[in-house]
Amino acid sequence: MELISDLINYFLNNYDILFGFTAEHVQLVGIAIIIAILIGVPVGIYITTNEELAETILQITSIIMTIPSIALFGIMIPILSIINQGIGFLPALIALVLYSQLPIIRNTYTAINDVDPNIRDAAIGIGMTTFQRLRKVEIPNAMPLIMAGIRTATVLNIGIGAIAAFIGSGGLGVLINQGISRSNSTMILAGAIAVSVLAIIADLFLKYVQKRFTPKGLNS
Amino acid sequence: MSKQKRIAIIVKAFFWILVLAFFYWVVTNNMFSRIIEDPNKFFTLLTQHITIVIVSSFIAVLTSIPLGILLTRPKFRRGEWLVVNIANLGQTIPSLAVLALAMGVLGIGMKAAIVALYVYSLLPILQNTIAGIDSVDSKTKDAARGMGLTPKQILWRVELPNAAFSIIAGVRTALVINIGTAALAYLIGGGGLGVWIFTGIQLFDNTYLMSGAIPVTLLAILVDLGCRVLQFLLVPKGLRLAREAIKS
Amino acid sequence: MIQFQNVSKIYEGDVQAINNVSFNVDNGEVVILIGPSGCGKTTLLRMVNQLESITDGEIRLHGNNVKELNKIEMRRNIGYVIQSNGLFPNMTIEKNVMIVPDLLGWDRKKQRDRFHYLMELIGLHPDDYRTRYPHELSGGQQQRIGVARALAADPPVMLMDEPFGALDPIIRNRLQEEFLQIQREVKKTILFVSHDIDEAVKMGDKITLLRKGEVMQFDRPTEILNHPKNAFVSEFVGQDRVLKSMSLYSIKDLSQAISLKQKVESNDTKTIKEDTSLRIAISILLNQEADQIIVLDDAGNNLGSLTLDLIEQFLHKEVKRTEIK
Ligand SMILES: Nc1ncnc2c1ncn2[C@@H]1O[C@H](COP(=O)(O)OP(=O)(O)O)[C@@H](O)[C@H]1O
Ligand SMILES: [Mg+2]
Repeated sequence: MELISDLINYFLNNYDILFGFTAEHVQLVGIAIIIAILIGVPVGIYITTNEELAETILQITSIIMTIPSIALFGIMIPILSIINQGIGFLPALIALVLYSQLPIIRNTYTAINDVDPNIRDAAIGIGMTTFQRLRKVEIPNAMPLIMAGIRTATVLNIGIGAIAAFIGSGGLGVLINQGISRSNSTMILAGAIAVSVLAIIADLFLKYVQKRFTPKGLNS
Repeated sequence: MSKQKRIAIIVKAFFWILVLAFFYWVVTNNMFSRIIEDPNKFFTLLTQHITIVIVSSFIAVLTSIPLGILLTRPKFRRGEWLVVNIANLGQTIPSLAVLALAMGVLGIGMKAAIVALYVYSLLPILQNTIAGIDSVDSKTKDAARGMGLTPKQILWRVELPNAAFSIIAGVRTALVINIGTAALAYLIGGGGLGVWIFTGIQLFDNTYLMSGAIPVTLLAILVDLGCRVLQFLLVPKGLRLAREAIKS
Repeated sequence: MIQFQNVSKIYEGDVQAINNVSFNVDNGEVVILIGPSGCGKTTLLRMVNQLESITDGEIRLHGNNVKELNKIEMRRNIGYVIQSNGLFPNMTIEKNVMIVPDLLGWDRKKQRDRFHYLMELIGLHPDDYRTRYPHELSGGQQQRIGVARALAADPPVMLMDEPFGALDPIIRNRLQEEFLQIQREVKKTILFVSHDIDEAVKMGDKITLLRKGEVMQFDRPTEILNHPKNAFVSEFVGQDRVLKSMSLYSIKDLSQAISLKQKVESNDTKTIKEDTSLRIAISILLNQEADQIIVLDDAGNNLGSLTLDLIEQFLHKEVKRTEIK
C-alpha cells in the first residue's frame, strides 16, 4: 500500500522529469525506426527478386536478433570507441536499427511475396511498369503486414532502449539505472511502469494505425 | 552460376568475413584476457547464468504447457481468450521492466532474477502451446472423435504431435530471451555473465566487455541453433511436409 | 441396421435442424441422404455416432438405442468418412489407416495383413504408401485412404459425409465406381450424404430426400425419379429425371415387363447384352439410326430385338404405373 502511494507521489512530484525521459526515449526509438524502415523496406522488397539472397539476409538478421541486447552494447563499445563513440546515443541507435531489421525485412518480404499472383498478373497485363506495380498494387496490399513488422520492431525497441540507458543514451531506462545505484525502489518501479506503459501504448496505437492502413475490402 | 546466386554468396561471404575479422581483432587485442586469466571466475559466472536460465525456463515449461493444454479443453475455452490477451500484453512489457518489478517486489538476489525470468518465459510458451493446439484442423479432430478416440487419445496422438513444432518454437523463444535477460540479472544482484559486461561498461574496460558479451552471445546463438535442430528431429516428418505444403 | 424413429434435432438458439425423421437403413444397404445445402444431412448423420445429441425420438443401431451405447465403443464399430478426409498429418499412411485397430489392440502382424488387404482393395500399392504421409498424396488418394481407414476394423456400419464432394468430376466418378465395387465385396450398411442427385441415383439402394430437416421422400432411386411424391422432389431431381432413371433399368427389366420383338436375322444389325442399361440402349438406337438392335444373353443367344418403340411402351408402363392407378 505504502509502495503504491509512494509511487503515486513520485509520479506527481516528478512528472516533468518523467516527461523529459519519455521524450528522449521516444526520440531514440522514433529515429531508429525511421532509419530501420528506410533500410528494411527496400531490402525486403529487393530480396523478393532473389530467393537465394532472401534466405541469406533473413538468416543474418535472425542471428543478429538472437544476440542479447546488453551483449551487443558490450560488443559495440570497443568497436565504436575507435571513433570515440563507444557510449551514448550512436551505439544505442545502431543497435535499435539492427534489431528492427528482422521484423521489418521479413514482414515486407513475406507480404510482397504473398500478394495474389493473379493480381500481379493483372497489373502486368494492363501494362504497369515494375515501379508502378509496386507503388499501386503490391505495396498497398502488403501494407498491413509491413505495418505489423514495424509495430513489432517498435515495441522491441522501446524495451531495448530502456537497457541502452546503461550505456548513456538517456530515456526512461535512466530512472531504473539511477534507482538501482541509489537503492531507490520507488524510482526503479516508476521507471519500469513508465517504460511498460509506453510500450503498451505504442503497441495499441500502431495496431490502430495498422488497421487504418488496411485497404478497404482487404479485411483479413 | 546465376547472377542472383552470386550476389547471395557475396553477401554471405561478406558477413562471415566481418565476423572473422571481428574475432581476429578481439583475439589480437587480447580482449579475452579475463577468461584466460581467471577461468574459475568465468565458469562461476557462466554456471550462475545457465542456472538462472535453466531453472526459470524449466519451471516455465512445466507450468505453461499443462496450462496451455488445460485452456484448450472445451471446459476452459472461455478462459483462453483472456489468457491469450494477457500473454500478448505481457510480452510488450520490456524485460528490464519485468526484472525491475521483480526486484521491487522480491528484493535483490538470484531468486528474484529467476522469478522474473520464469514469469517472462511463461508467456511465449503458453501462447505457442495454445496456438499450436488450436492450429490442429477441426475436421481432423472431428474425424478422430468420430472414429472413437477418447479425448485423452486425441490429445496425445493428434493434438500434441501437431502442436510440437509450435511448442518447441515457444521454448526456443523463451530460452533465447532468458539468456539475454539473465545478462541483466547483475543489476538486481543475480550474478551471471552480466557481471563482467556491466563491470566493463562502468570501467570502460574492453577485456571485461568482450569476456562477458561474447560468451553470452555465443550461448544464445548455440541454444537457438540447438532448439532448431531439436525441432527438426522431434517434429514428425508428416508435419514438416504439411507446413511446406501450406507455405507453397 | 440403422433405424430412425421420429428423430428431431433442435440446436441451441432454436434452430430446428431435423424434424420428425423416420426411415431405416437395412443391413448391407446403401442409403443416400440428399437435399439442398443446410437441410440437415450432416446433422442427421452425426447424430448416429453421437457427435450430435438427439433432441427427440430414437436412433437404433442393430436394435439398440444409440443413446444407451458406450460412445467410444460404438464409434469404433462405425466407419466414419468425411469430405475433407480428416487424415492425421503427423502419422504415416499405415498409422492413419490402422488407428482404430491399433486402439483396439490388434497385434502387429494382424495390422500389417489388414493394411495390405485394404490397400489392395482401394487400389493402392501397400508398400508404396506405408511410410508416406498424407501431404504427399493427391486429393483422390487421400480420400481413398480415408475410406480404407474407415474400413480398417471391419465395422458393419459406415457413415460417409460427402466423401467424394471435394474431388474433380473425373476422379469423383472413378472413386464412385471403385466404391460400388468395394461395397459389392464388403456389403456394409451405409448411410451416405451427398448433394449430387446423379451420385445418389448411381450409388444408392435407397434415397432419403430431405428438405429443411423433413423427409420429402424415402424410396428406391427409380421411384424417386419416376414417381416423385411432390413438386419439391420432382424439381430437385431435375426435368431430365425420366432420362436419368433409364440408367437404372436394364434391357432385362424391359424384357421381363414386356416382351421383345420377334427374332429377326440380319447381318448388319448391331447386338447388345441384355444387362446393358436402357440409357445406353437408347443412345445406341439414336446414334445408329437403326430401327432395332439384337439383344443377346450371357451365352450369346439371340433373345429378340429392341426398338425405341418398345422402350417407350416400357416407360409408359413403369413411369405412369402409379399415376394410372
Ligand atoms: N452446431 C450448430 N449449431 C447451430 N446450428 C447448426 C449447427 N450445425 C448446423 N446447424 C444448422 O443446422 C442446419 C443443418 O445443417 P447441416 O446438417 O450442416 O446441413 P447440411 O449438411 O445438409 O448442409 C443448418 O441450418 C445449420 O445452420
Ligand atoms: Mg453437410
